[in-house]
Amino acid sequence: MVINVKNLVKRYGDLIALDHFNLAVQEGEVLGLLGPNGSGKTTAINCILSLLKYDKGTIDIFDQPMSPDAYHLKRDIGIVMQNVAVFDELTVYENIDYFCGLYISDKQTRKKLVAEAIDFVGLNDFKKFYPKKLSGGLLRRLNIACGIAHKPKLIILDEPTVAVDPQSRNNILEGIQKLNQQGATIIYTSHYMEEVEQIASRIAIMDKGKIIAMGTNEELKKMIKSGEHINLELLNPEDLDLAGISALPHIISAELRDHQLVIKSERGKNNLIPILDTLKAEQIAIGKIYSEPPTLNDVFLEITGKELRD
Amino acid sequence: MQVYKAFFRIIQKNRGQILIYLVVFMVLALLLSGNYNPPQDTDFTKVKVNIAFINNDEDSQLVDGLKTYLDENANLVDLPDDTQKLQDALFFRQVEYILRVPAGFTQGLLSGQDVQLEKTTVPDSTSNVYMDLLINKYLNTVKTYTTYTPGLTQEDLTRYVANDLAEQSDVTMLSNGSHSIYAEKSSYYFNYLSYSLFAILILGVCSVMLVFNDTDLKRRNLCSPIRSANMNFQMILGNISFAFLTWLVLISASFVMYGSFMFTTTGLLLLLNSFVFTLAALSISYLIGNLVKSRGAMSAIANVFALGTSFLSGVFVPQELLGNNVLTMASFTPTYWYVKANNEITSAVNFNVDNLQSIFTSMVLVLAFGVAVLAVTLVLIKQRRVEG
Repeated sequence: MVINVKNLVKRYGDLIALDHFNLAVQEGEVLGLLGPNGSGKTTAINCILSLLKYDKGTIDIFDQPMSPDAYHLKRDIGIVMQNVAVFDELTVYENIDYFCGLYISDKQTRKKLVAEAIDFVGLNDFKKFYPKKLSGGLLRRLNIACGIAHKPKLIILDEPTVAVDPQSRNNILEGIQKLNQQGATIIYTSHYMEEVEQIASRIAIMDKGKIIAMGTNEELKKMIKSGEHINLELLNPEDLDLAGISALPHIISAELRDHQLVIKSERGKNNLIPILDTLKAEQIAIGKIYSEPPTLNDVFLEITGKELRD
Repeated sequence: MQVYKAFFRIIQKNRGQILIYLVVFMVLALLLSGNYNPPQDTDFTKVKVNIAFINNDEDSQLVDGLKTYLDENANLVDLPDDTQKLQDALFFRQVEYILRVPAGFTQGLLSGQDVQLEKTTVPDSTSNVYMDLLINKYLNTVKTYTTYTPGLTQEDLTRYVANDLAEQSDVTMLSNGSHSIYAEKSSYYFNYLSYSLFAILILGVCSVMLVFNDTDLKRRNLCSPIRSANMNFQMILGNISFAFLTWLVLISASFVMYGSFMFTTTGLLLLLNSFVFTLAALSISYLIGNLVKSRGAMSAIANVFALGTSFLSGVFVPQELLGNNVLTMASFTPTYWYVKANNEITSAVNFNVDNLQSIFTSMVLVLAFGVAVLAVTLVLIKQRRVEG
């Protein structure tokens, strides 16, 4: 087991930031820790890294208790903080060399690792640049390079794509997948469900300081009643009797938004035919029709009754 | 030594501000201490006072002896015994002292009676004191002989007195020979040095500590396997190296200005004192660096602290001119003890156990300030290592 957290409780006065939080991370997996802002993701990461004292519970990393003085464990952990943590006074190369040097003392090895890290994040053309001269995306890449240059076995990335443009975000996500392919175990926290869906082999959904659901993408979606979203563009929506649609079997909800009819149905093979029959009987003309599988937001919505991005 | 290397990269990036302080302060210190002209010592020349000697007594050997003695130590001006002329001579400063030997003086002196010589002097003249001393010396010597060796002839008495008064004592100056014009000039320079040193150290150390104490960077460093003791060691080593370099640069100017004087005991003590002060200033800067949260606050504290302690402690205004209350307050700063030691070092003509003890006590106090503040800082760092 790479990480084993049991019954972690962290309080800030009366506020319970982590409420009997449990987490087990296996070697080689990419665990996505998903939750809205304030759900306790960063607090959990800080406790795991011994940056925060906690009130109750145990944290084991590589099957050994984690503590502020567990330097032998820290040696195998790479961390990419939510906020970019680099020296403005050092160049890109010097920054990566500094952080790598905290883990690797041999100069020759370090030189090779720094070069690899720069290559990995695609900052070869910016080696001599100071951080203030870099764009937001490049800065994030530098932050990642500083965290992974020493080739750690466990990499924790705390919302590494915040305020990053889509192109840089894709580069970062591809890089993380590459790191995993190279053998690193990864914990990736985010409130962007698409990112987590894209890279995580297992997803833990957090809310109010505890994990409310955990499993693969498919497993999580199977946990909820909602099977698919059917979207129909109606040409004459004014003639529609919404009650007729809602009364159909397997329909969870039906909602008309302007010309758009959005229907949530239970999982099943022939949900679309009765809907089309009903609309035909009501002489409703259909312009466009498509269906979507449920998202993690649906999972979160069904479990907590609120949107993931609230 | 990643932290140590990063320390100097940060200093290097902030060198502009530090260099401005260094250059401005050094130029000011050089100008101020260079333009200072201490009171000049002039050679001593014995000046003889013009006196008139009127004898109304017999022409005895004793009176002749007195006249001869005075002639050796003053200029005898020949004036007639005329009151008007004597007064004119005094008025026009032809003479400054008129001595009249009254009748019966010789017999009175030989018989052990209290005799009185009459004198007329220029009012408030310092030369009459000198003449009084000479005359008293002669009369006292005569009286000593007449009291303890009765029966001496006038001839013998006059000869003995003349021999005694001719005795000279050799005086040897117990001086190390180093008390020169440079002593006072260097005192000014080394006192000013405390201000520039303090300001530069606060700026340098704070600019580094601000970076390392940035919440995100600090947390990132805490995630790494570097031990806190190792981190502190590298940080303190960086601070000491920076302080030592600053001290070297500042004292190098004193070698340029005062040359070989800096290799005398006075010069070496000044260097030692400034080095001890550097350690204390560094320690205080390290504490400030761990407390300060922004660059604006850093500049403000550097100015207020360096200027404030300098004013209180007698860097700009001599300690002798400061009030007791101010000095009592100042005694809680290392600058006060540093300036006090500097003043003692440069005012000492020679060094003995007494003044060295006082100088080294001041240095020990400065060092104690440094150690105490460093201890507080290390406790503070340890407490902050893990957030609550």
